Amino acid sequence: MRKIILMCNAGMSTSILVGKVREAAKNMGYDCTIDAYPVNEAEERAKDADIVLLGPQVRFEQKRIQAKLDCPVSIIDMAAYGMVNGKKVLEDIKKELGD
Amino acid sequence: MQTFKKMFDNFLNAIVKISSTKALVALKDGFVLTMPITLIGSLFLLLANLPINGYGKFMENTFGANWNIGLNQVAGATFDILALITVIGIAYFYAKNENEDGISSAIIALVSFLVISASSTATESGELVGGVIPKTWTGAQGVITAIIIGLISGAVFTYFVKKKITIKMPKGVPDGVANSFAALIPGLVIILGSMIVYQVIKISFDSTLTELIFKGLQIPLQNLSDSFVGGLVITLLISLLFWAGLHGPNIVMGVMAPILTANAVANNTLLQSGKLSVAEGAHIMTPQVIDNFVKFGGTGITLGLLIAALIAAKSNQMKSISKLSVVPGIFNINEPVIFGLPIVYNPFMLVPFILVPIMGLIITYGAIAIGILTPFTGVQIPWTTPPIISGFILGGFSGAIIQAIILVLSVLIYLPFMKKQDKVLVENEAKSAELIS
Repeated sequence: MRKIILMCNAGMSTSILVGKVREAAKNMGYDCTIDAYPVNEAEERAKDADIVLLGPQVRFEQKRIQAKLDCPVSIIDMAAYGMVNGKKVLEDIKKELGD
Repeated sequence: MQTFKKMFDNFLNAIVKISSTKALVALKDGFVLTMPITLIGSLFLLLANLPINGYGKFMENTFGANWNIGLNQVAGATFDILALITVIGIAYFYAKNENEDGISSAIIALVSFLVISASSTATESGELVGGVIPKTWTGAQGVITAIIIGLISGAVFTYFVKKKITIKMPKGVPDGVANSFAALIPGLVIILGSMIVYQVIKISFDSTLTELIFKGLQIPLQNLSDSFVGGLVITLLISLLFWAGLHGPNIVMGVMAPILTANAVANNTLLQSGKLSVAEGAHIMTPQVIDNFVKFGGTGITLGLLIAALIAAKSNQMKSISKLSVVPGIFNINEPVIFGLPIVYNPFMLVPFILVPIMGLIITYGAIAIGILTPFTGVQIPWTTPPIISGFILGGFSGAIIQAIILVLSVLIYLPFMKKQDKVLVENEAKSAELIS
């Protein structure tokens, strides 16, 4: 099972996306957990994650977060983020993880 | 145009670079720790001073003259230790972000702050009382000193531990025990340094570092942030950064929140003595002006854009994005519209996205300056509180009405720009429909 963590400034706007990504995962039969948290909780929340995705508005935090974690830290596609396109986000995640 | 774009990119890079320095990250992370405390303190402060005429008299007649001593005690134990929490939070995160022992760093910084601050207070008759920690300097007035001490102490502590200038324990000694010894040498150095600073300043100026920094640095900074130009720069930067797709409030308020909070808490004192007005020296620019009047509905007050789109949009894209974004928008979250429309690097939206918040600032600043709206105090509410409700809690009926006026104006300003964008989208949609058929 994959552990996917989404992060933005306060974990608020990514929490809108979480529901949609979960829905997409259910439809695709992809075995994973998906949660959203504020970016400054990266260490506590994402220690054992398989992948961390940052909202595009906090993309400047990528380097700092990556330094703390072993898993890949990538940026969510802007258009997919704005349109709350859970399917596209999940497809990107699967591609990145090679699933 | 090319050179302009290059300049803008350089400007963005510089801001991102500055805001990701160790010091600013620690400042941002550390000051956030004060949020729950000020929010809780706010509730008690609000109950002690509801913005309703005759409330105080009514409570006094119903519950006796001492009705509010409990409420004021809580306000005094939260706002009045703002600097202590700040120094602890910043030193903690400075070390922790470097994967070192945050708690030891925080405790040493707290001691250092107490060493360089006053340990006596004068009574009204001028008599000195020793053996106290005066709340005068542990609250908002000590905030800038707390930031400086938190950063220096955190940096020195981290440096010593990283360079292994510590007392080393043999293998097999438990981690907790070893850590407590590791903190000894850096702690000694930091506290000895603080002692020297205290003694020199006490003997040569009969003052303390906290007091000198307050008078020489914090007051000028607060006055600068309190001017209309100060407000304008903050507002402009937040919009410009978000237009480039970067979280403007996170970056700008990371630096400005402590100063604006100090402005707000300074207003508490005036509130408690019943003299809360600009004429009596109250500050206008507080976090609430930015959070609840200049960027409600999300940065750029895009709620206005969404309402304009719901009324008049014809393209499918504009219609669907506004439907999708309006509920989060009511709770002041607007990433869907920022990245979905998008507003990011969209030339149609640059002008209103910058203009609307400035309009909000002018109206709010003006209303406070001429006394229609009471200056805001330490009373803060979660930033996700919907507009109109937040205005009412913070500023009574005038607060709600001013937010309503700003919202209506933002719809009107966004409308022509939305229509222009909508027209382009309609044309594109027609074109792609032709291609398919």
